[in-house]
Amino acid sequence: MENTILENSPNEHLEAETIPESFSEPISDSVFNKFFLEVASLTSFTWRFFKEVFKPPYEFNELMKQSFLIGYKSLPLIGITGFIIGLVLTIQSRPTLAKFGAESWLPAMVAVSIIREIGPVITALIFAGKVGSGIGAELASMNVTEQIDAMQVSCTNPFKYLVVTRVLSATIMLPILIIFSDAIGLLGSFVGVNLKGNVSTYLFFSQIFQSLEFGDLAPAFIKTIFFGFAIGLIGSFKGYNSYKGTEGVGKAANSAVVFASLMVFIIDMIAVQITSLFQN
Amino acid sequence: MKKNTSNKIKLGIFTSLGILVLILGIYFIGERQQLFRSTFHLTGVFKDVAGLQAGSNVRFSGVNVGTVDNIRIVSDTSVKVEILIDESTRKFIKKDALASIGSEGLMGNKILIIIPGTGGKKEIENNDMVETVQPINMDDVMLSLKKTIDNASSITTNLSSITGNIQSGKGTIGRLLMDRSLAQNFDSSIVNLKQGLFGLKNLMDDTKISFANNFDSTFVNLKEGSAGFKILMKKAKDSWLLWGF
Repeated sequence: MENTILENSPNEHLEAETIPESFSEPISDSVFNKFFLEVASLTSFTWRFFKEVFKPPYEFNELMKQSFLIGYKSLPLIGITGFIIGLVLTIQSRPTLAKFGAESWLPAMVAVSIIREIGPVITALIFAGKVGSGIGAELASMNVTEQIDAMQVSCTNPFKYLVVTRVLSATIMLPILIIFSDAIGLLGSFVGVNLKGNVSTYLFFSQIFQSLEFGDLAPAFIKTIFFGFAIGLIGSFKGYNSYKGTEGVGKAANSAVVFASLMVFIIDMIAVQITSLFQN
Repeated sequence: MKKNTSNKIKLGIFTSLGILVLILGIYFIGERQQLFRSTFHLTGVFKDVAGLQAGSNVRFSGVNVGTVDNIRIVSDTSVKVEILIDESTRKFIKKDALASIGSEGLMGNKILIIIPGTGGKKEIENNDMVETVQPINMDDVMLSLKKTIDNASSITTNLSSITGNIQSGKGTIGRLLMDRSLAQNFDSSIVNLKQGLFGLKNLMDDTKISFANNFDSTFVNLKEGSAGFKILMKKAKDSWLLWGF
């Protein structure tokens, strides 16, 4: 055995010298390959989620706890954001509509903008910033401190307990948060309309519901489910698969927000295309 | 444990409120589309619907009473519009009601307008076909407007050439307005006329005097003649030759 090593060792040394540096690099270090490796592991992570979600035992208590933390605790932030969006959009749109003498269209225009696009997307981005990073950092720190390994050792399924509950909570809670955000945004718009005008509450909301159709509401609501799922899944994925070490926690939180926000836009673009396909 | 329960209650309230807001939204949107009211169907056939869409409002006397349910092309010259109208307004819409297509303001959406029929007629029934008035197509309006503008343009061109001719003294009016010799001739004509009239006046005065004198002498002669005639007649009457007459 020793002889063979001795015999082979000079050749190996020669090979190491002659092979160019770029080829000697491990395949996974290339950015291109890294991306596809990431996509592959995200796909298997998603597949595992769907396998685990229907398999008992169900972690209802943890689901409730996560829903409370993810949904209820995000309401103030989402509410304030929604109110400001409605108010600002109304104030900014007024001069343009006033040029055409179409100020009476302000509630209808703002309502369609908020319900169809701005409400869901802005809320999802805020949600990605708060919840996506939260999930990523929490799971990454659990990974760093080997709590996930400890759970595995103690015969608890960490994926089911940590990932499934969080992804489900995000998927269920984001649509509800967006409903609140839209409603509060419309209230903000009402305040905005009345800053320089005088429109009664009844007339304002009557104009809003006159302008809205199910074709506006349904696609917007359905895409928020996908937004929530993407944010929860990417947050969990980044946290669950983080590098061991304190640096990994920061990286996981950061990349969770970046990728979740990007996914929100990608899903939105696909949703708009599908919606326009059905509406025309 | 207590905190856990309170959190669950908060979560329950949060979720319930969210779902309630969603249901209210769906209800109010559905209410506008007459989903939760009893409605009746009408159909109308148009040659051109001018951009009317399914879901557009239906107005009766300026009030939104329904929506356009469906629009289908039946043939190359007719489009069938199915209308959903609130049942409570049926009693006001008569058999001879008309449907026309209008718009909400100058730039607004297209709407279907129901023009009420005459009072004495029976009220319209479910699935009836309503008579239609063809909408004014903006393209036709623009075409007619273009013709008018073209005409106005040719008129102004003609007017411009006419005024140019007048200014350069061409034509009757041009000569009348722009020719100086005409004015001078006119002046001299006026002077001649004045002189002529003066002469005429003198002539008339002379004529008047001689005529009066002649008239007077004529009357004197006539008087003398009639006196002579009277005497002559008397003598003739006394004469034996004319006895018996």
